[in-house]
Amino acid sequence: MQGQPEREYIIEVEKINKTFSGGVHALVDFSTKVRKREVVVVIGPSGSGKSTFLRCLNGLEEIDSGSIVIDGIPLDDNKKHRLEIRKEVGMVFQLFNLFPHLTVFENITLAQRLVRKKKKEEAMEMTVNLLKKVGIPEKANNFPNQLSGGQQQRVAIARALAIMPKVMLFDEATSALDPEMIGEVLEVMKNLAREGMTMVVVTHEMGFAREVSDRVIFMDFGRIVEEGTAEHFFTNPQEERTKLFLSQIL
Amino acid sequence: MYRKKKTKITSLDIILLSVLLIGVAFVVYRVTVGLNYKWNWGAMLQYIVRYDKETHRYVSNLLLQGMFTTLRLSFWGTILAILFGTLMGLFRVSTSLFKRMVGRSYVELIRNMPPLVFIFIFYFFISDQIMPLMGVDDFIRSSSPGVQNFFDIILASPELFSATVSALFSLGIFEGAYITEIVRAGIQSIERGQWEASYGLGLSKYQQMRYVILPQALQRILPPLAGQFISLIKDSAIVSVISVQELSFQGTQIMASTYYTIEIWTFVAALYLIMTLSCSLAVERLEVHMARSR
Repeated sequence: MQGQPEREYIIEVEKINKTFSGGVHALVDFSTKVRKREVVVVIGPSGSGKSTFLRCLNGLEEIDSGSIVIDGIPLDDNKKHRLEIRKEVGMVFQLFNLFPHLTVFENITLAQRLVRKKKKEEAMEMTVNLLKKVGIPEKANNFPNQLSGGQQQRVAIARALAIMPKVMLFDEATSALDPEMIGEVLEVMKNLAREGMTMVVVTHEMGFAREVSDRVIFMDFGRIVEEGTAEHFFTNPQEERTKLFLSQIL
Repeated sequence: MYRKKKTKITSLDIILLSVLLIGVAFVVYRVTVGLNYKWNWGAMLQYIVRYDKETHRYVSNLLLQGMFTTLRLSFWGTILAILFGTLMGLFRVSTSLFKRMVGRSYVELIRNMPPLVFIFIFYFFISDQIMPLMGVDDFIRSSSPGVQNFFDIILASPELFSATVSALFSLGIFEGAYITEIVRAGIQSIERGQWEASYGLGLSKYQQMRYVILPQALQRILPPLAGQFISLIKDSAIVSVISVQELSFQGTQIMASTYYTIEIWTFVAALYLIMTLSCSLAVERLEVHMARSR
């Protein structure tokens, strides 16, 4: 918005708690802030709460207490706020979750038409550009099940970008992929980071963290154990738990 | 698709088949020789088509007319059942407690009541009150011959109009309860990721359902849905109790006037089989087609 001073933080998370019905305390007084254009990588063992944290950011999971503010909009019970936040936050899932009954083209166009209320021509143009951006313009008229895993995930990224989000969340976007396809998806993500997209990425790909991340957060038992640059994690991790975890995944 | 297995005939099969044949032969023997019954298959044909001496043409007679009424009932009943079933199916998966309760009550009430009882309650209590209120009878009686003729072709003759509409609603509401459960199961079978992805894209609840979930659910429930329509054809026989002149009703009428009991019901059964089996074949085709397009 013009005239207003640019907000420093686009994501502000203040002491959030989340307990699942099974009694698992997934997030414990979790706080963090993300700057505009910042790329944050979240690592941690499975069950550490990193996916839950990500899913709380767009309201996929309800928090028990604390506050989440995205680009100045509080994530509360107000439906308008929630819708606004869902439009501002794009999400990419581990299992792609493409719509199997729609073509690649329709997958990417759907939300532009329904949510952003774009005209058909505009939406088509944007979709063509997005498909070029993720490197598969020739697959526009295919159905998701005709694509490889890597291609599907790239379509999913294009679909999330189509609503022009200010923040992109990646929930283990490469974990379900065959090894030879991880590279192509990471490449798209790296390009996105270089273009200045604000990103929160849950991943085990330390190469990605080293190359593009501004900050790495190591989580365990719903808390931040350690955070710093990727370089810090590679050369000089402080906590014993961090060292143990890194020795296991590197 | 399944690979076709080679049929292998064992000695056990031969023994069983022989026993079966002997059994059938015995029944036929008992029926022809032992039963004190005069067979008259020839008389049956005239109840299907008869020669009209005035117009010098063959015209459909009671059984065929009954079959057409059954088809009309099934067609419109299906449409009503889909409407009720989809609406209530959506209620069943709604987040609103009230809607869920309405959906649940509907399903449990209908499915746990004998259809015959339901038809009687509906016909004598409800439509007896509602039909005059809605002016269904007045409407059809006061409309022009053209309109009456039109409704005669697509639904029923003026004198049976009210009863037929009532029958249609009973059938629709009755089968709708089963379709409700099919729709609910279909919606619930869609992976959570589909909801999450469409939620994440900013689609409203309605849009998520309309553009993402329902189209996929529909694909999955088409086979059981088609099966339910076949049930509807069979279940439509029940409305004979409220004097709608469909196939079973005509069967009863002819039986009462001719006493050719076995012949009549054999013919009626055959006509039902023609309707249901052709539907089954169509459904089978549809399933193969859908399996291929996956």
